[in-house]
Amino acid sequence: MSDFNVRSDSVNVEHIMEQVRSRIREKRGIDYTEDQIREMATVKLEKFLDSRAVRSDLLEEFRRAHGTLQPTKFPNYSFEEQTLFESTRAPVRWIRRLLLPVLKLFFNPNPLIRALHTQSTLNTMNRERDVARHGIDQLHYELLHNLVVETTRMGIDLRNLQMRVESLASRLEFNERRARALESVVVYRPPSETADTELAPEVSPAADATPGRPLESPGRLEEGPGQRSRRRRRRRGRRGGPSAAAIMGGHAPQGDAAQPTAPSEQGASTREGSTAPAETTPQPPFPPEQ
Amino acid sequence: MKLAVVVQRYGPSINGGAELHARYVAERLARHAEVDVLTTCATDYVTWQDTLEPGVEQVNGVNVRRFRVGRERSPDEFSRCSERVFRQTHSVADELAWLDAEGPTSPALVRYLARRSREYDHCVLFSYRYYHAYHGARAAPEKAVLVPTAERDPAIGLSIFGPIFRGVRAIMFNSPEERAMIRAVAGIADDQPSVVVGVGSEVPAVTDPERFRRKFGLHEPFAVYVGRVDANKGCGELFDFFGSYLREGAGALTLVLIGQSVLDIPAHPRIRHLGFLDDRDKFDAIAGAELLIMPSYFESLSMVALEAWALGRPVLANGRCDVLKGQCIRSSAGLYYDGRLEFIETLRALERNRWLAATLGRNGRQFFREHYTWSVIERKYLEMFDRLSRAPVARVMERTAGWFERRRPICPPSSEVVASLPAGPSIAPPASPPDARATEPSPRSASGPPDPHSVSRSAGGHSRFRRGQHRSRRGGGSSASTRTQ
Repeated sequence: MSDFNVRSDSVNVEHIMEQVRSRIREKRGIDYTEDQIREMATVKLEKFLDSRAVRSDLLEEFRRAHGTLQPTKFPNYSFEEQTLFESTRAPVRWIRRLLLPVLKLFFNPNPLIRALHTQSTLNTMNRERDVARHGIDQLHYELLHNLVVETTRMGIDLRNLQMRVESLASRLEFNERRARALESVVVYRPPSETADTELAPEVSPAADATPGRPLESPGRLEEGPGQRSRRRRRRRGRRGGPSAAAIMGGHAPQGDAAQPTAPSEQGASTREGSTAPAETTPQPPFPPEQ
Repeated sequence: MKLAVVVQRYGPSINGGAELHARYVAERLARHAEVDVLTTCATDYVTWQDTLEPGVEQVNGVNVRRFRVGRERSPDEFSRCSERVFRQTHSVADELAWLDAEGPTSPALVRYLARRSREYDHCVLFSYRYYHAYHGARAAPEKAVLVPTAERDPAIGLSIFGPIFRGVRAIMFNSPEERAMIRAVAGIADDQPSVVVGVGSEVPAVTDPERFRRKFGLHEPFAVYVGRVDANKGCGELFDFFGSYLREGAGALTLVLIGQSVLDIPAHPRIRHLGFLDDRDKFDAIAGAELLIMPSYFESLSMVALEAWALGRPVLANGRCDVLKGQCIRSSAGLYYDGRLEFIETLRALERNRWLAATLGRNGRQFFREHYTWSVIERKYLEMFDRLSRAPVARVMERTAGWFERRRPICPPSSEVVASLPAGPSIAPPASPPDARATEPSPRSASGPPDPHSVSRSAGGHSRFRRGQHRSRRGGGSSASTRTQ
């Protein structure tokens, strides 16, 4: 993180934090807090997930459905054989029991008692099942909720990773181009030429002492690609036919070194001059032009 | 001038934040006035069990009068009461029951204060949330000067504390964030005297980091955490984030932990737990560290952060703690993080960018020197006492609700009250002038340093609160247009 541009003594912490955050965004995509992920999972899910598969209002829908499945809160009743004839007052209970045979002359209460007893038992079972179901629903809800949050998180991670891959791909492409460019400027120099170059400062002053000609730049490798291609063209010209200068009515290649050249070509022409006696030596194999 | 300092625990071996704060203030004020400390016999803040003898003793030249605790705290009862008042709609009676359950319930201390308050010019009550401060303020409202040491926890949302904040004669805040929070929750009148003071620290003039390194075999650069190693202090998150920092190979720092641990510490060669150290080792450790990390979510005022700044070390604070974040911004002496990636990047920034770390440390030293040296703290206390002595008592403490009113379940859950409070660091100076009047330098201090908490970071550019603290970072914010690489 040495690349913070904080140059004055009056450090602005908020500004530094902005730089930290922008660096994080550049490096890793966006960093969401846990709360933000939850918020997105419930509100803006469709922006981060494949809408074909997951509904953004899934949790809300589940909550609604879950709300209707609350276990019933009504108390159950117990219904036994004597329930119909019970009373808190003993005389009433006694009279009912006394008159029961008379009642049975009118209708048979036993099927009614059995039905209500069965219904009471069913109610109890249903209630127990509801309670169990409620627990399972809670688990389902938790599971679904966590699933949605994790899926959202994975969606965000995926997006961040895609960004990182894109970033890496662009960097790789840049590096490849850079490598190709560097390869194109590498000049192969055999040892003899290296020795010539090392000797050049001792030899060339006589030639360079010509008034009005600036001294050669000591770093031969610092010549630009334009100069190098021009020199190459001149060599091709020497090997394969008359040079452009000759075609244009100029002098032969041997005379190049002695001819005043344009300032931009002086470095190259000076070198040509210094290496002119070794014209017959094999030319270095230049790498193919990219 | 005779002062009473009322605090829940007191003693040279008691290192709780508010208790240490009270001891430092009492010992410093004892140079200017006769100071009596009124406290309990308890040393354990969980049970409030009486472990010291009641009576009067001298601690570092200060009179300390101890009172018995009526009953120890029952964790179950306290938990039950907390659940009721923090999470459910409840009554004032429930809140008073919570206060009793929290303790330290010492009616003897309150009776003494009610009976003898006339002997004192001012009663400085520490920690609003405890029994002694609530009942002490009601026992001697015309003498009460409250040092709330309030954090952003659910207790601040209880309705019983509103009349206390409004009824005491003056409030000595620890930070602008605390002031803003209490003003919002209690609706304090503009003319109530108050000032942001904080506390100084006894930082040695000379430290020897090399001695510390030799003693503990620490030869690599390290970041230090000082305090109780506790999940409530954010240490769990710290371990998690620092683990990520280690896994990513982001830097070469070792994490050094100083303090008692109530949390499992990850076993890693670059996480070193040294346990509780004496002050000399502690200060040498801070001086030798690359930075201090403060992972706590809730702080009223971090004395350790101030000590790190006094020693010229930068601080990396948890951005979710408004106070720490505000301190970092106001002092320009620390960075803060909100999340794992920010933790890693800010830690790496402080580790690798020497210039940045050195500048933050230098700013911290300057910030401490200007605002937290004892001369500044003492001056603020004395000016406040002087102002209160000259001004008449302007308000009376509101009466406690009647029997029926007290039992009406009309109080909202305090966690909801706290959630509705404004959040974020307080950057700009307050708009209302009364505090400025309180902190306004008197003629004899006209050449003194300005109020530390009135430093505006940008001319009118900030609101008092950063409501957008939790704004989505998707929005981007301004990019680093001045990045060089």
